[in-house]
Amino acid sequence: MEASTPTVIVTHGLSKEYDMGAEIVHALRGVDIQIRSNEFIAVMGPSGSGKSTLMNVIGCLDTPTAGEYILNGVPVQDLEDDELARIRNREIGFVFQTFNLLPRATALHNVELPLIYAGVKAGERRERAARALGLVSLADRMQHQPNELSGGQRQRVAIARALVNEPSILLADEPTGNLDSSTSAEIMSLFVDLHRQGQTIIMVTHEHDIAEFAERIITLVDGMVASSHATLTTAPFASTAPPVISEP
Amino acid sequence: MSIFEALRVALTQLWAHKLKSIFSLLGVVIGITFLIAVITVVEGMNRYVQEDFAGSLFGVNTFSVVRRPTVSTGNRSAEERRRLDRNPYPDLDDVEALRNAVPDARYFAYRDARRMREVWHGVRRRRNIRVIGGSEDYQDVQGWKIEEGRGLTPLDQQRGLKVAVIGPEIAEKLFPAGSPLGRQIRLEAHRYEVVGVFERKGGLLGNAWDAAILMPYEAYNQTLSRKRDRVLEISVKTNNESELQVAMDAAEEALRISRGLRPGEENNFYFQTSSGLLSAWETINNILLAAVPGLVSISLVVGGIVIMNIMLVSVTQRTREIGVRKAMGATQRDIMMQFLAESSFISLLGAALGILFGLGLGKLVERFSPLPASIPPWAVATAIALGLLVGLSSGIYPARRASRLNPIDALRYE
Repeated sequence: MEASTPTVIVTHGLSKEYDMGAEIVHALRGVDIQIRSNEFIAVMGPSGSGKSTLMNVIGCLDTPTAGEYILNGVPVQDLEDDELARIRNREIGFVFQTFNLLPRATALHNVELPLIYAGVKAGERRERAARALGLVSLADRMQHQPNELSGGQRQRVAIARALVNEPSILLADEPTGNLDSSTSAEIMSLFVDLHRQGQTIIMVTHEHDIAEFAERIITLVDGMVASSHATLTTAPFASTAPPVISEP
Repeated sequence: MSIFEALRVALTQLWAHKLKSIFSLLGVVIGITFLIAVITVVEGMNRYVQEDFAGSLFGVNTFSVVRRPTVSTGNRSAEERRRLDRNPYPDLDDVEALRNAVPDARYFAYRDARRMREVWHGVRRRRNIRVIGGSEDYQDVQGWKIEEGRGLTPLDQQRGLKVAVIGPEIAEKLFPAGSPLGRQIRLEAHRYEVVGVFERKGGLLGNAWDAAILMPYEAYNQTLSRKRDRVLEISVKTNNESELQVAMDAAEEALRISRGLRPGEENNFYFQTSSGLLSAWETINNILLAAVPGLVSISLVVGGIVIMNIMLVSVTQRTREIGVRKAMGATQRDIMMQFLAESSFISLLGAALGILFGLGLGKLVERFSPLPASIPPWAVATAIALGLLVGLSSGIYPARRASRLNPIDALRYE
């Protein structure tokens, strides 16, 4: 059953070194991971374990110093900046801890952003952005600016933005780090929903209860994969049963 | 991302920071305003000189014999100026010689003139006037029109009658209530009967003529002349341009003979033509226009630096935004275009405002002076091109910096 699911991400010996002048920091030391389509992965690890670096490399914001990174069958480790930009635009939807919305733009315009760089025409863009906002239940907040929205709403705008160009991967970096627990639960239930609809999700978190929403947890220690195991809350793969969401 | 899209993003950004945007375009506004205003005024002066001034001073197809040029262009050597200063004034002998040399002239006129402190009628007086003793034809050469009464007639001239045609300003001052016709005016110890009033000329240089008194040359020669038989200027108007040169050649020969100049000796008189005056004006004009690019480029460079600085600040303030845009798939080119569109738009807007302000200044000049406001299309085109140039060149460095930001660092920027 697992063999029939396409592999989205394969890495071989992924390494990343930073030259800090006096010393060389080894952020990643040969990471080998495989992520299949429609997986919901949580990446955990203590600070300094290299999970942010891994996210940056997977998100094509950064290139590895050594090793291979194959995204949807395309080796991307040696691509130029502009090619990486195109891959970020089509394959990856980012959700950040601090939301990173454009402060003076409406929710709608924020969600349109990836489509602008994808070259989608204005009319279609607006339509798709509105649909994405509907998907996160913010159809009535389209003309609001970020400062007129609550934290949870902002993060949902960011999720709509991440999804609007139908990426292969939704990449979330501490998506609940700036939210209270009830809003966190709301966002996680949205993730679980999306996952159930077939979205591949990779999420960095240091909170165990958040990580438990994923179906597999990859733990990094000192730039290497320490463990990779399925969680208990979700069935191993392609579950049709509704996930348990703990309401506080 | 298309240019249109980049412009839209830039516009949104500029609208969001209205005050900052206004300050950043000030430099360009000032530069372009200056450019347009100066060109408007210079072109206006140009038109004025060519259409009104030169024509009214000398008329077309006209030359005059004078001691030395009345308008000096300043490119004569000191020695030449001294030589011209030694030239004798023309006199009535020269007039006769010249009259015989150009029998086909359309008009032939001569005059003497002097400034006088005051003219009286009873207890009323007008100060600072100009008195002209003009021959027959003189008022026609000048193209002066009569408002009231009559001009000087051949009979006045032949008999040297003590009659005068006065300028409108003198008429107003001396005869505020009734008509001046048939009344007496007094210059020094001499009395003259007013037979006419000139039409107002107005304008930049017309003011001097509006306070002038014209009388028959013979009357002037008998009463007010500083030197008997002296003539300041002999004017000859020919029927067309081709006759002008022939007449000038004949006049030169006749004058040389009458003044007894030997072959090889320099002319001790000077021919003045309206085309000569226009070339003098052209020299002044070129100097003015040559000074414009220097002054304009200084303010545009300053304006460009202002825009560049504000754009650099803007890049720093918007580091996170740039990071977000890059994460969403903006290429270096996209970011570059966005910032270039912004700086170009600021600068073009500045240029547009500058054109408007410059035109406004030109209109003000037109309103309060006789100079027409004349803005040539090339000046507008130049202003727009300069605006675009300043915008692009001041935007390139900030735009490059923005486009080369590392997205990870940019996203993490506080």
